[in-house]
Amino acid sequence: MDILDILVKHRAEFLYGIKITLLLSVYIWIIGIALGTILGTASNRWKRIVGLPTRFLSFILSGIPVLVFLFWLHYPAQYLFKIVVNPFITTVVALSIVNAFLIADLMRSVLEDFPKQYLEAAYVSGFGRLETLRHIQLPIIWRQVMPNLLTIQIVMLQSTLFASLISVDEVFRIAQRINSEIYKPVEVYSALGIIFLIICLPMHGLALWFRAKYTRDISEK
Amino acid sequence: MIHVEKLNKSFNGKKIISNISLSIQPGKITSIIGPSGGGKTTFLKCLSMLAPPDTGTIKVDDQVYVFPNDTRIRNAPPWPKLNVVFQQLFLWPHLTLRQNIFLPLQLQSKAMKDYEIERRKSRAEKLIEELSLQDAIDRFPNETSLGQRQRAAIIRALALEPSYLLLDEVTSALDIEHIGIVLNTLKEASSDGMGILLVTHLLKFAMNSSDHIVFLEDGIIYEQGKPDIIRNPHSERLREFLSLIKVVS
Repeated sequence: MDILDILVKHRAEFLYGIKITLLLSVYIWIIGIALGTILGTASNRWKRIVGLPTRFLSFILSGIPVLVFLFWLHYPAQYLFKIVVNPFITTVVALSIVNAFLIADLMRSVLEDFPKQYLEAAYVSGFGRLETLRHIQLPIIWRQVMPNLLTIQIVMLQSTLFASLISVDEVFRIAQRINSEIYKPVEVYSALGIIFLIICLPMHGLALWFRAKYTRDISEK
Repeated sequence: MIHVEKLNKSFNGKKIISNISLSIQPGKITSIIGPSGGGKTTFLKCLSMLAPPDTGTIKVDDQVYVFPNDTRIRNAPPWPKLNVVFQQLFLWPHLTLRQNIFLPLQLQSKAMKDYEIERRKSRAEKLIEELSLQDAIDRFPNETSLGQRQRAAIIRALALEPSYLLLDEVTSALDIEHIGIVLNTLKEASSDGMGILLVTHLLKFAMNSSDHIVFLEDGIIYEQGKPDIIRNPHSERLREFLSLIKVVS
Protein backbone atom coordinates (compact mmCIF):
# COMPACT_ATOMS: atom_id res chain seq x y z
CA MET A 1 0.00 0.00 0.00
CA ASP A 2 1.66 3.24 -1.07
CA ILE A 3 1.11 6.84 0.03
CA LEU A 4 -1.54 7.54 -2.59
CA ASP A 5 -3.49 4.39 -1.66
CA ILE A 6 -3.47 5.47 2.00
CA LEU A 7 -4.65 8.97 1.08
CA VAL A 8 -7.46 7.56 -1.07
CA LYS A 9 -8.52 4.79 1.29
CA HIS A 10 -8.56 7.00 4.39
CA ARG A 11 -9.68 10.18 2.66
CA ALA A 12 -12.75 10.58 4.84
CA GLU A 13 -10.69 10.48 8.07
CA PHE A 14 -8.00 12.73 6.62
CA LEU A 15 -10.61 15.20 5.35
CA TYR A 16 -12.19 15.31 8.80
CA GLY A 17 -8.75 15.91 10.37
CA ILE A 18 -7.96 18.63 7.83
CA LYS A 19 -11.30 20.26 8.57
CA ILE A 20 -10.55 20.37 12.31
CA THR A 21 -6.99 21.63 11.68
CA LEU A 22 -8.25 24.39 9.38
CA LEU A 23 -11.06 25.29 11.76
CA LEU A 24 -8.57 25.59 14.62
CA SER A 25 -6.30 27.71 12.41
CA VAL A 26 -9.07 30.05 11.29
CA TYR A 27 -10.12 30.75 14.89
CA ILE A 28 -6.50 31.24 15.97
CA TRP A 29 -5.79 33.54 13.01
CA ILE A 30 -8.88 35.70 13.46
CA ILE A 31 -8.65 36.06 17.25
CA GLY A 32 -4.85 36.40 17.23
CA ILE A 33 -4.74 39.00 14.45
CA ALA A 34 -7.58 41.06 15.91
CA LEU A 35 -6.21 41.00 19.48
CA GLY A 36 -2.61 41.42 18.35
CA THR A 37 -3.42 44.43 16.19
CA ILE A 38 -5.35 46.12 19.01
CA LEU A 39 -2.64 45.28 21.57
CA GLY A 40 0.20 46.39 19.27
CA THR A 41 -1.50 49.67 18.38
CA ALA A 42 -2.41 50.36 22.03
CA SER A 43 1.17 49.49 23.08
CA ASN A 44 2.51 52.07 20.67
CA ARG A 45 0.00 54.72 21.74
CA TRP A 46 0.12 54.17 25.50
CA LYS A 47 3.72 53.08 25.91
CA ARG A 48 3.76 52.89 29.72
CA ILE A 49 0.28 51.72 30.62
CA VAL A 50 -0.17 49.13 27.84
CA GLY A 51 3.23 48.89 26.13
CA LEU A 52 5.34 47.91 29.14
CA PRO A 53 3.02 45.15 30.50
CA THR A 54 2.55 43.80 26.96
CA ARG A 55 6.30 43.65 26.37
CA PHE A 56 6.81 41.98 29.75
CA LEU A 57 4.12 39.34 29.08
CA SER A 58 5.47 38.80 25.57
CA PHE A 59 8.96 38.31 27.03
CA ILE A 60 7.67 35.75 29.54
CA LEU A 61 5.63 33.95 26.87
CA SER A 62 8.62 33.76 24.52
CA GLY A 63 10.43 31.73 27.21
CA ILE A 64 7.69 29.10 27.45
CA PRO A 65 7.45 26.45 24.71
CA VAL A 66 4.02 26.45 23.03
CA LEU A 67 3.46 22.82 24.02
CA VAL A 68 4.14 23.52 27.71
CA PHE A 69 1.79 26.53 27.61
CA LEU A 70 -0.93 24.42 25.98
CA PHE A 71 -0.49 21.61 28.53
CA TRP A 72 -0.48 24.10 31.39
CA LEU A 73 -3.78 25.57 30.21
CA HIS A 74 -5.23 22.09 29.68
CA TYR A 75 -4.24 20.43 32.96
CA PRO A 76 -3.02 22.63 35.88
CA ALA A 77 -5.06 25.72 34.99
CA GLN A 78 -8.30 23.79 34.69
CA TYR A 79 -7.54 21.89 37.90
CA LEU A 80 -6.74 25.18 39.65
CA PHE A 81 -9.96 26.87 38.55
CA LYS A 82 -11.97 23.63 38.90
CA ILE A 83 -13.33 23.82 35.37
CA VAL A 84 -13.38 21.46 32.41
CA VAL A 85 -12.91 23.02 28.99
CA ASN A 86 -13.21 21.33 25.63
CA PRO A 87 -9.63 20.66 24.34
CA PHE A 88 -10.54 22.33 21.03
CA ILE A 89 -11.32 25.57 22.91
CA THR A 90 -8.19 25.22 25.07
CA THR A 91 -6.10 24.97 21.90
CA VAL A 92 -7.79 27.99 20.37
CA VAL A 93 -7.22 30.02 23.54
CA ALA A 94 -3.56 28.97 23.97
CA LEU A 95 -2.50 29.49 20.37
CA SER A 96 -4.54 32.69 19.99
CA ILE A 97 -2.70 34.17 22.97
CA VAL A 98 0.67 33.21 21.47
CA ASN A 99 -0.40 34.55 18.06
CA ALA A 100 -1.73 37.80 19.56
CA PHE A 101 1.52 38.56 21.39
CA LEU A 102 3.65 37.78 18.33
CA ILE A 103 1.50 40.09 16.20
CA ALA A 104 1.45 42.77 18.92
CA ASP A 105 5.27 42.76 18.91
CA LEU A 106 5.32 43.00 15.12
CA MET A 107 2.75 45.82 15.01
CA ARG A 108 4.45 47.77 17.77
CA SER A 109 7.86 47.65 16.13
CA VAL A 110 6.44 48.68 12.73
CA LEU A 111 4.47 51.55 14.28
CA GLU A 112 7.44 52.70 16.36
CA ASP A 113 9.71 52.76 13.31
CA PHE A 114 7.16 54.54 11.13
CA PRO A 115 8.71 57.84 9.99
CA LYS A 116 6.30 60.50 11.26
CA GLN A 117 7.61 62.90 8.62
CA TYR A 118 5.47 61.06 6.04
CA LEU A 119 2.48 62.05 8.15
CA GLU A 120 3.71 65.63 8.43
CA ALA A 121 4.08 65.76 4.65
CA ALA A 122 0.45 64.61 4.42
CA TYR A 123 -0.82 67.16 6.94
CA VAL A 124 0.89 70.10 5.23
CA SER A 125 -0.58 68.85 1.94
CA GLY A 126 -4.02 69.28 3.44
CA PHE A 127 -4.84 65.66 4.34
CA GLY A 128 -7.20 65.13 7.27
CA ARG A 129 -6.37 62.52 9.90
CA LEU A 130 -8.58 59.85 8.30
CA GLU A 131 -7.22 60.59 4.81
CA THR A 132 -3.67 60.33 6.16
CA LEU A 133 -4.51 57.01 7.80
CA ARG A 134 -6.16 55.64 4.67
CA HIS A 135 -3.79 56.89 1.96
CA ILE A 136 -0.43 57.05 3.73
CA GLN A 137 -0.18 55.27 7.07
CA LEU A 138 -2.11 52.05 6.46
CA PRO A 139 -0.68 51.25 2.99
CA ILE A 140 2.90 51.67 4.24
CA ILE A 141 2.24 49.67 7.43
CA TRP A 142 0.39 46.97 5.47
CA ARG A 143 3.40 46.47 3.20
CA GLN A 144 5.76 46.18 6.16
CA VAL A 145 3.59 43.91 8.26
CA MET A 146 2.13 41.50 5.69
CA PRO A 147 5.03 39.13 4.89
CA ASN A 148 5.96 38.57 8.55
CA LEU A 149 2.31 38.28 9.52
CA LEU A 150 1.80 35.51 6.96
CA THR A 151 4.90 33.68 8.17
CA ILE A 152 3.61 33.81 11.76
CA GLN A 153 0.24 32.43 10.61
CA ILE A 154 1.96 29.48 8.89
CA VAL A 155 3.81 28.73 12.14
CA MET A 156 0.46 28.90 13.98
CA LEU A 157 -1.11 26.47 11.53
CA GLN A 158 1.76 24.05 12.07
CA SER A 159 1.50 24.51 15.85
CA THR A 160 -2.06 23.15 15.79
CA LEU A 161 -0.35 19.71 15.65
CA PHE A 162 0.20 20.04 19.41
CA ALA A 163 -3.58 19.84 19.86
CA SER A 164 -3.33 16.11 19.11
CA LEU A 165 -1.56 15.69 22.46
CA ILE A 166 -4.62 16.93 24.36
CA SER A 167 -6.99 14.72 22.32
CA VAL A 168 -8.20 17.09 19.59
CA ASP A 169 -8.99 15.09 16.45
CA GLU A 170 -6.95 17.22 14.12
CA VAL A 171 -5.07 15.81 11.14
CA PHE A 172 -1.97 14.63 13.06
CA ARG A 173 -4.04 12.65 15.57
CA ILE A 174 -6.01 11.16 12.68
CA ALA A 175 -2.72 10.10 11.05
CA GLN A 176 -1.59 8.51 14.34
CA ARG A 177 -4.89 6.62 14.56
CA ILE A 178 -4.62 5.35 10.97
CA ASN A 179 -1.03 4.28 11.62
CA SER A 180 -2.04 2.36 14.72
CA GLU A 181 -4.56 0.46 12.55
CA ILE A 182 -2.36 -0.38 9.55
CA TYR A 183 1.13 0.20 10.96
CA LYS A 184 2.70 1.87 7.92
CA PRO A 185 4.51 4.81 9.58
CA VAL A 186 6.61 5.79 6.54
CA GLU A 187 3.62 5.97 4.20
CA VAL A 188 1.17 7.49 6.72
CA TYR A 189 3.48 10.25 7.91
CA SER A 190 4.64 10.93 4.35
CA ALA A 191 0.98 11.36 3.41
CA LEU A 192 0.64 13.76 6.35
CA GLY A 193 3.67 15.68 5.10
CA ILE A 194 2.09 15.97 1.66
CA ILE A 195 -1.14 17.28 3.19
CA PHE A 196 0.78 19.97 5.11
CA LEU A 197 2.77 20.85 2.02
CA ILE A 198 -0.46 21.31 0.07
CA ILE A 199 -1.85 23.61 2.76
CA CYS A 200 1.32 25.51 3.74
CA LEU A 201 3.11 25.93 0.41
CA PRO A 202 0.50 28.26 -1.13
CA MET A 203 0.63 30.36 2.04
CA HIS A 204 4.42 30.45 1.87
CA GLY A 205 4.14 31.38 -1.80
CA LEU A 206 1.73 34.17 -0.92
CA ALA A 207 4.11 35.47 1.78
CA LEU A 208 6.99 35.45 -0.72
CA TRP A 209 4.82 37.21 -3.31
CA PHE A 210 3.88 39.89 -0.77
CA ARG A 211 7.52 40.29 0.18
CA ALA A 212 8.57 40.64 -3.45
CA LYS A 213 5.72 42.93 -4.47
CA TYR A 214 5.33 45.19 -1.48
CA THR A 215 8.49 45.15 0.57
CA ARG A 216 10.84 46.08 -2.23
CA ASP A 217 13.60 48.39 -1.08
CA ILE A 218 11.94 51.77 -0.67
CA SER A 219 14.90 53.52 0.90
CA GLU A 220 16.01 56.55 -1.04
CA LYS A 221 19.51 56.39 -2.47
CA MET B 1 0.93 88.08 5.59
CA ILE B 2 2.71 85.77 8.04
CA HIS B 3 3.96 87.63 11.05
CA VAL B 4 6.11 85.93 13.64
CA GLU B 5 6.62 87.56 17.02
CA LYS B 6 9.24 86.59 19.63
CA LEU B 7 9.54 82.93 18.69
CA ASN B 8 11.56 80.71 21.03
CA LYS B 9 12.45 77.04 20.86
CA SER B 10 14.73 74.89 23.02
CA PHE B 11 15.79 71.26 22.87
CA ASN B 12 17.10 69.55 26.01
CA GLY B 13 17.62 72.90 27.69
CA LYS B 14 19.59 74.35 24.75
CA LYS B 15 18.08 77.37 23.06
CA ILE B 16 17.87 76.81 19.29
CA ILE B 17 15.65 79.75 18.35
CA SER B 18 15.88 82.97 20.30
CA ASN B 19 13.27 85.72 20.17
CA ILE B 20 12.83 85.70 16.40
CA SER B 21 10.43 88.22 14.90
CA LEU B 22 9.88 88.25 11.16
CA SER B 23 7.30 88.94 8.44
CA ILE B 24 6.68 87.07 5.21
CA GLN B 25 4.81 89.18 2.72
CA PRO B 26 2.49 87.79 0.04
CA GLY B 27 4.07 88.09 -3.38
CA LYS B 28 7.59 88.38 -1.96
CA ILE B 29 10.46 85.93 -1.61
CA THR B 30 12.36 85.93 1.68
CA SER B 31 15.58 83.95 2.03
CA ILE B 32 17.21 82.75 5.21
CA ILE B 33 20.97 82.29 5.05
CA GLY B 34 23.43 81.32 7.73
CA PRO B 35 25.85 78.62 8.84
CA SER B 36 24.82 74.99 9.36
CA GLY B 37 23.36 74.31 12.77
CA GLY B 38 22.29 77.93 13.10
CA GLY B 39 18.62 77.07 13.61
CA LYS B 40 17.31 77.60 10.06
CA THR B 41 15.53 74.26 9.75
CA THR B 42 14.21 74.44 13.33
CA PHE B 43 12.83 77.89 12.60
CA LEU B 44 11.08 76.53 9.50
CA LYS B 45 9.61 73.67 11.54
CA CYS B 46 8.36 76.14 14.16
CA LEU B 47 6.97 78.48 11.55
CA SER B 48 5.12 75.62 9.84
CA MET B 49 3.88 74.60 13.31
CA LEU B 50 4.95 70.99 12.75
CA ALA B 51 7.23 71.49 15.74
CA PRO B 52 5.35 74.20 17.64
CA PRO B 53 7.56 76.84 19.29
CA ASP B 54 7.88 76.98 23.08
CA THR B 55 6.70 80.58 23.19
CA GLY B 56 5.76 83.28 20.71
CA THR B 57 3.02 84.23 18.29
CA ILE B 58 2.49 83.25 14.66
CA LYS B 59 -0.09 85.15 12.65
CA VAL B 60 -1.10 83.64 9.30
CA ASP B 61 -3.35 86.22 7.62
CA ASP B 62 -6.23 86.55 10.09
CA GLN B 63 -5.43 83.40 12.12
CA VAL B 64 -3.38 83.96 15.26
CA TYR B 65 -1.58 81.09 16.99
CA VAL B 66 -0.23 81.86 20.45
CA PHE B 67 2.27 79.50 22.08
CA PRO B 68 2.60 77.58 24.27
CA ASN B 69 -0.48 75.35 24.16
CA ASP B 70 -2.34 76.67 21.16
CA THR B 71 -4.92 74.01 20.42
CA ARG B 72 -6.04 75.71 17.21
CA ILE B 73 -3.31 73.85 15.29
CA ARG B 74 -5.47 70.76 15.72
CA ASN B 75 -8.83 72.39 15.01
CA ALA B 76 -7.84 74.98 12.42
CA PRO B 77 -4.41 74.03 11.07
CA PRO B 78 -2.68 76.50 8.76
CA TRP B 79 -2.10 73.81 6.09
CA PRO B 80 -2.25 73.53 3.07
CA LYS B 81 -2.62 77.31 2.86
CA LEU B 82 0.86 77.25 4.41
CA ASN B 83 2.89 74.50 2.77
CA VAL B 84 6.39 73.17 3.35
CA VAL B 85 8.98 71.38 1.24
CA PHE B 86 11.35 69.66 3.64
CA GLN B 87 15.05 69.20 3.08
CA GLN B 88 14.58 65.42 3.22
CA LEU B 89 11.52 65.83 0.94
CA PHE B 90 9.45 62.97 2.42
CA LEU B 91 7.81 61.85 -0.76
CA TRP B 92 5.55 58.94 0.13
CA PRO B 93 7.55 55.82 -0.78
CA HIS B 94 4.61 53.61 -1.82
CA LEU B 95 3.40 56.10 -4.44
CA THR B 96 4.96 57.06 -7.75
CA LEU B 97 6.06 60.66 -8.27
CA ARG B 98 2.86 61.26 -10.27
CA GLN B 99 0.71 59.89 -7.42
CA ASN B 100 2.71 61.95 -4.93
CA ILE B 101 1.83 65.07 -6.89
CA PHE B 102 -1.77 64.31 -7.80
CA LEU B 103 -3.10 62.59 -4.64
CA PRO B 104 -3.13 65.81 -2.55
CA LEU B 105 -4.75 67.61 -5.48
CA GLN B 106 -7.37 64.89 -5.81
CA LEU B 107 -8.22 65.08 -2.10
CA GLN B 108 -8.36 68.88 -2.17
CA SER B 109 -10.58 68.82 -5.23
CA LYS B 110 -13.56 67.43 -3.29
CA ALA B 111 -14.48 71.00 -2.36
CA MET B 112 -13.72 72.48 -5.79
CA LYS B 113 -15.64 73.19 -8.96
CA ASP B 114 -14.83 71.07 -12.02
CA TYR B 115 -13.11 73.85 -13.96
CA GLU B 116 -10.92 74.64 -10.94
CA ILE B 117 -9.90 70.99 -10.66
CA GLU B 118 -9.02 70.90 -14.36
CA ARG B 119 -7.07 74.16 -14.11
CA ARG B 120 -4.99 72.87 -11.19
CA LYS B 121 -4.36 69.53 -12.86
CA SER B 122 -3.19 71.15 -16.07
CA ARG B 123 -0.99 73.53 -14.06
CA ALA B 124 0.59 70.51 -12.34
CA GLU B 125 1.16 68.87 -15.74
CA LYS B 126 2.75 72.09 -16.96
CA LEU B 127 5.05 72.20 -13.92
CA ILE B 128 6.06 68.57 -14.55
CA GLU B 129 6.99 69.57 -18.09
CA GLU B 130 8.76 72.78 -17.13
CA LEU B 131 10.85 71.04 -14.48
CA SER B 132 11.56 68.18 -16.97
CA LEU B 133 10.20 65.42 -14.79
CA GLN B 134 8.28 63.54 -17.51
CA ASP B 135 10.77 60.65 -17.75
CA ALA B 136 10.67 59.88 -14.05
CA ILE B 137 7.07 60.72 -13.30
CA ASP B 138 5.81 57.12 -13.15
CA ARG B 139 8.67 55.83 -11.06
CA PHE B 140 8.74 55.33 -7.30
CA PRO B 141 10.82 57.83 -5.30
CA ASN B 142 13.61 55.35 -4.57
CA GLU B 143 13.98 54.68 -8.29
CA THR B 144 14.77 58.31 -9.04
CA SER B 145 17.69 60.66 -8.42
CA LEU B 146 17.70 63.15 -5.55
CA GLY B 147 17.38 65.99 -8.07
CA GLN B 148 14.24 64.41 -9.56
CA ARG B 149 12.79 63.91 -6.08
CA GLN B 150 13.50 67.53 -5.19
CA ARG B 151 11.67 68.69 -8.29
CA ALA B 152 8.75 66.37 -7.55
CA ALA B 153 8.48 67.69 -3.98
CA ILE B 154 8.50 71.29 -5.25
CA ILE B 155 5.77 70.48 -7.79
CA ARG B 156 3.70 68.66 -5.12
CA ALA B 157 3.74 71.82 -3.01
CA LEU B 158 3.27 74.34 -5.84
CA ALA B 159 0.40 72.39 -7.41
CA LEU B 160 -1.67 72.98 -4.27
CA GLU B 161 -1.25 76.74 -4.83
CA PRO B 162 -0.62 77.60 -1.19
CA SER B 163 -0.67 81.22 -0.06
CA TYR B 164 2.70 80.69 1.63
CA LEU B 165 5.42 78.22 0.79
CA LEU B 166 8.40 77.36 2.98
CA LEU B 167 11.33 75.61 1.26
CA ASP B 168 14.27 74.08 3.08
CA GLU B 169 17.42 73.70 0.94
CA VAL B 170 15.41 72.33 -1.94
CA THR B 171 18.00 73.07 -4.61
CA SER B 172 20.88 71.21 -2.94
CA ALA B 173 20.94 68.39 -5.50
CA LEU B 174 19.95 70.35 -8.60
CA ASP B 175 22.27 71.24 -11.45
CA ILE B 176 22.65 74.87 -12.52
CA GLU B 177 20.09 74.55 -15.30
CA HIS B 178 17.43 73.18 -12.97
CA ILE B 179 18.26 75.71 -10.24
CA GLY B 180 17.54 78.39 -12.85
CA ILE B 181 14.24 76.75 -13.80
CA VAL B 182 13.20 76.39 -10.14
CA LEU B 183 14.16 80.01 -9.54
CA ASN B 184 11.96 81.17 -12.43
CA THR B 185 9.09 78.97 -11.27
CA LEU B 186 9.30 80.39 -7.75
CA LYS B 187 9.49 83.96 -9.08
CA GLU B 188 6.41 83.27 -11.20
CA ALA B 189 4.52 81.86 -8.19
CA SER B 190 5.60 84.83 -6.13
CA SER B 191 4.40 87.27 -8.79
CA ASP B 192 1.03 85.47 -8.62
CA GLY B 193 0.87 86.46 -4.95
CA MET B 194 2.49 83.52 -3.15
CA GLY B 195 4.65 84.41 -0.14
CA ILE B 196 7.81 82.31 -0.21
CA LEU B 197 10.40 81.63 2.46
CA LEU B 198 13.58 79.93 1.29
CA VAL B 199 16.30 78.42 3.41
CA THR B 200 19.39 78.18 1.24
CA HIS B 201 23.15 78.06 1.41
CA LEU B 202 23.44 79.37 -2.16
CA LEU B 203 24.14 83.07 -1.75
CA LYS B 204 23.76 83.85 -5.45
CA PHE B 205 20.45 82.01 -5.54
CA ALA B 206 19.31 84.02 -2.50
CA MET B 207 20.47 87.31 -4.06
CA ASN B 208 18.86 86.64 -7.43
CA SER B 209 15.59 85.32 -6.11
CA SER B 210 14.86 87.28 -2.96
CA ASP B 211 13.15 90.50 -2.05
CA HIS B 212 14.33 90.16 1.53
CA ILE B 213 17.26 88.34 3.11
CA VAL B 214 17.59 87.22 6.71
CA PHE B 215 20.89 86.17 8.28
CA LEU B 216 20.36 83.64 11.08
CA GLU B 217 23.08 82.28 13.33
CA ASP B 218 22.83 80.52 16.71
CA GLY B 219 19.07 81.00 16.55
CA ILE B 220 19.37 84.79 16.41
CA ILE B 221 18.64 87.11 13.50
CA TYR B 222 21.76 89.24 13.25
CA GLU B 223 20.79 91.13 10.16
CA GLN B 224 17.97 91.38 7.66
CA GLY B 225 17.12 93.61 4.75
CA LYS B 226 17.24 93.89 0.95
CA PRO B 227 19.52 91.50 -1.00
CA ASP B 228 22.11 94.27 -0.87
CA ILE B 229 23.11 93.20 2.64
CA ILE B 230 25.14 90.43 1.05
CA ARG B 231 27.27 93.03 -0.74
CA ASN B 232 27.30 95.53 2.11
CA PRO B 233 26.82 93.71 5.41
CA HIS B 234 26.44 95.84 8.51
CA SER B 235 26.82 93.24 11.25
CA GLU B 236 30.18 91.74 12.14
CA ARG B 237 28.70 88.19 12.18
CA LEU B 238 27.39 88.43 8.63
CA ARG B 239 30.69 89.91 7.45
CA GLU B 240 32.55 86.96 9.02
CA PHE B 241 30.13 84.45 7.50
CA LEU B 242 30.47 85.99 4.03
CA SER B 243 34.26 86.16 4.24
CA LEU B 244 34.37 82.46 5.19
CA ILE B 245 32.22 81.62 2.18
CA LYS B 246 34.48 83.69 -0.07
CA VAL B 247 37.52 81.76 1.22
CA VAL B 248 35.81 78.42 0.50
CA SER B 249 34.56 79.42 -2.95
